[in-house]
Amino acid sequence: MTVALHLAPAAGGPVIPNFGGASNCVVQNHQFCMSWFTHNFNSVFKPALIQHIELTAIAVGCGMAIAFAAAIFAYKQSWFGTPFSLLSAFLYTIPSLALFELLVQVTGINRFTAEIGLVSYTLLILFRNTLTGLQGVPPAVIEASRAMGYTPRQTLFRVEIPLATPAIMAGVRIATVTTISLATVAAYIGAGGLGKLIFDAIQSGFKTEFVAAGAMAIALAIIADILLVLIQRAITPWSRHRVQTF
Amino acid sequence: MRSSDPLTFFFNNLSLFESKVIAHLELSFAAVGVAILIAIPLGAWLGHIHRGSFLAISVSNIGRALPSLAVIAIGIGILGIGFLNTMVALVILAGPVILTNIYVAVAEVDPDAVQAARAMGMTPLVVLWRVELPLAMPLIFAGVRTATVYVVATATLATFAGGGGLGDIIVNEPTYGTAGVIAGSLMITVLAFAVDGLLAIVQNRITPYPLRKQGRQAKVEPLANAAAWQAPGNR
Amino acid sequence: MVKRYPGRDRPAVEGLSFAVAPGEICVLIGPSGCGKTTALKMVNRLISISDGDITIDGQNVRSLGLTQLRRGIGYVFQQIGLFPHMSVEHNIGSVPRLLGWSKTRIRERASELLELVGLDPVGDLKRYPGEFSGGQQQRIGVARAMAADPQIMLMDEPFGAIDPIARDRLQNDFLRLHRQVRKTVIFVTHDIDEALKMGDKIAIMRDGQLVQLATADELLAAPADEFVARFVGEDRGLKRLRVRSVRDLELDPAVSGDAAVTSLMTDTSLHTALSSMLAEGLTQINVVDEDGRPIGSVRFDAIARLVAPPETAAAAPAAAESSSR
Repeated sequence: MTVALHLAPAAGGPVIPNFGGASNCVVQNHQFCMSWFTHNFNSVFKPALIQHIELTAIAVGCGMAIAFAAAIFAYKQSWFGTPFSLLSAFLYTIPSLALFELLVQVTGINRFTAEIGLVSYTLLILFRNTLTGLQGVPPAVIEASRAMGYTPRQTLFRVEIPLATPAIMAGVRIATVTTISLATVAAYIGAGGLGKLIFDAIQSGFKTEFVAAGAMAIALAIIADILLVLIQRAITPWSRHRVQTF
Repeated sequence: MRSSDPLTFFFNNLSLFESKVIAHLELSFAAVGVAILIAIPLGAWLGHIHRGSFLAISVSNIGRALPSLAVIAIGIGILGIGFLNTMVALVILAGPVILTNIYVAVAEVDPDAVQAARAMGMTPLVVLWRVELPLAMPLIFAGVRTATVYVVATATLATFAGGGGLGDIIVNEPTYGTAGVIAGSLMITVLAFAVDGLLAIVQNRITPYPLRKQGRQAKVEPLANAAAWQAPGNR
Repeated sequence: MVKRYPGRDRPAVEGLSFAVAPGEICVLIGPSGCGKTTALKMVNRLISISDGDITIDGQNVRSLGLTQLRRGIGYVFQQIGLFPHMSVEHNIGSVPRLLGWSKTRIRERASELLELVGLDPVGDLKRYPGEFSGGQQQRIGVARAMAADPQIMLMDEPFGAIDPIARDRLQNDFLRLHRQVRKTVIFVTHDIDEALKMGDKIAIMRDGQLVQLATADELLAAPADEFVARFVGEDRGLKRLRVRSVRDLELDPAVSGDAAVTSLMTDTSLHTALSSMLAEGLTQINVVDEDGRPIGSVRFDAIARLVAPPETAAAAPAAAESSSR
């Protein structure tokens, strides 16, 4: 059922995909052929990039939904924290390729399987950070909130969750970057994205494709990280000032 | 050697698994070893002189962001395939984690203890060696543990770069069959847990008793990305 | 608007029963663990009442919905608890927002209150709590508690975490504010000097029970027992002088000579007057008006007579005669 990849380069040397009029650089398989890259960006790299972003966004979104609900539940019912933590830690420790391969036996080779795996990896960090964020709200603030007549629900949504946002966002950042990385491996089981380009390149031995796809994945991760930091700063204007707590 | 049952497959191919596991661990520990050799002196010194926190944070951010497969892929493109290439890639992936942890560990050592040591007349190097490093050891080890588990997991991908290891079995269905793939996947999972568990025990042993209860997080909370030290990042 | 206080809550508070008159500041004070904070928190039901009732204006606090009750009570406490993620304006507007006030009305109210507590009514609206010092934060805390114009304010060691100089200013400013706004306040403290300064009435508690309820002067003049006497301080004689001023005395005629070296004003406390006498080695000092013209004088024995216990008043003139030479 697994996609079979023969990973040793073909005996007669690397097979260079010939898109017609291959430049000298490509034919000789140099490290990185700029012209080939720009020439094929729209047809090859852009769709893969978009696919990769989609993959990541769906995984982090679902992971956030699950982990967030679980964390709030654990915040209110403290017994829940440890079991869920252990479960997500367990999932997290399983090496990605192995997890994907095992999942494939159950749900087949498709994007859905990949998403299940990716979501599992986000759970630990999102859950842990959200819960820690909630638990880090100064007790004095909660006391003030209850004393002035906020219902428990109002306290949760207007006070506790907003104050947990920095920790939550930190978790989302880490989860996003991690997922971008794991999504490259997920291509192995048919998820597409930049990983697919890497695997193709491994098969064909075409260096430019390696380097380009790899560099794009790295760039995507770093850009996503920076963007999320900016978003975090924008939605927590108060954290720029030192808050006095007793 | 086809078999429909992973367990049977495993027992029928013990020597195969043995050699793969050994290769896998060799690669992993070599990479972690090199990473330690590079990162620890650098991180310890920076932490001691309390400089370069921006560098440490940036390195950790970037290191965390590096998709492992991408690094391996670029490595193949530049260095070609083989043990060395994969090891270099793994060092690049493990380094930042260890570096940042040791930087934080040394920088955040109780300043009172350091001050007392200097007041006693210890030279900076002696302070580092006899006071800061021992106190920082638990956190340093936490970083080493995180990095090691991470490397063991990521080394699965080494197969794509000809580095050997259990990945060879997992990606080679034609040769080993579905049962083999499953067996290999389970094996690497068990290995990851085993390494983590073992190192956890060692970590507990070397943590001075009073610090055990607070856990290693006590020292790290000041930095915003506390969880990053725990999470092996990407695989 | 009277608050009645019969309450019983585990052994923490037992058989506590008294009333607080409207517009009065009633201070609960006692050693650690005496139950003063417990008693306070039973009013807005942050701590539940096991037995007995607390009524506000005749209405039992247990009969009101919890949220409704609390939105009508202002609560200020030592750790302040401002919402770090909201601007000052939004912090102050917390309860009004719950009550559905319009944004404009909230902003106006916030400005008004900021001015009242001594902060910048315009510039400080949009700032965040983290930008202010502890003393300033507590001022905002007081403003927040007053925002929806509650009947009652509960204050639990509100100035406890603030440095002594700022604390003194805060106390003065709060008293000044209270003269204007006249809310019923229940104030918990462990500092006897703060209690004497702030309280219209002072309730001394011990082991969950009320030991004495009296004004500052009564408390100092006639402590109910050994415990109270020790609690208010062995220098309670002197302490009484702090709460009295020169205007409480009938002035003797002004004198010249040694007595004119220094002078007092009508609002000078007797404590300061006595201190001046000791420092200058005098038993009589002139009192002057704002322009510096002498309008009379104060004698040591007059001060002593004012604060002496009633039965020694007859003997005092004889003793004073001999000491003023």
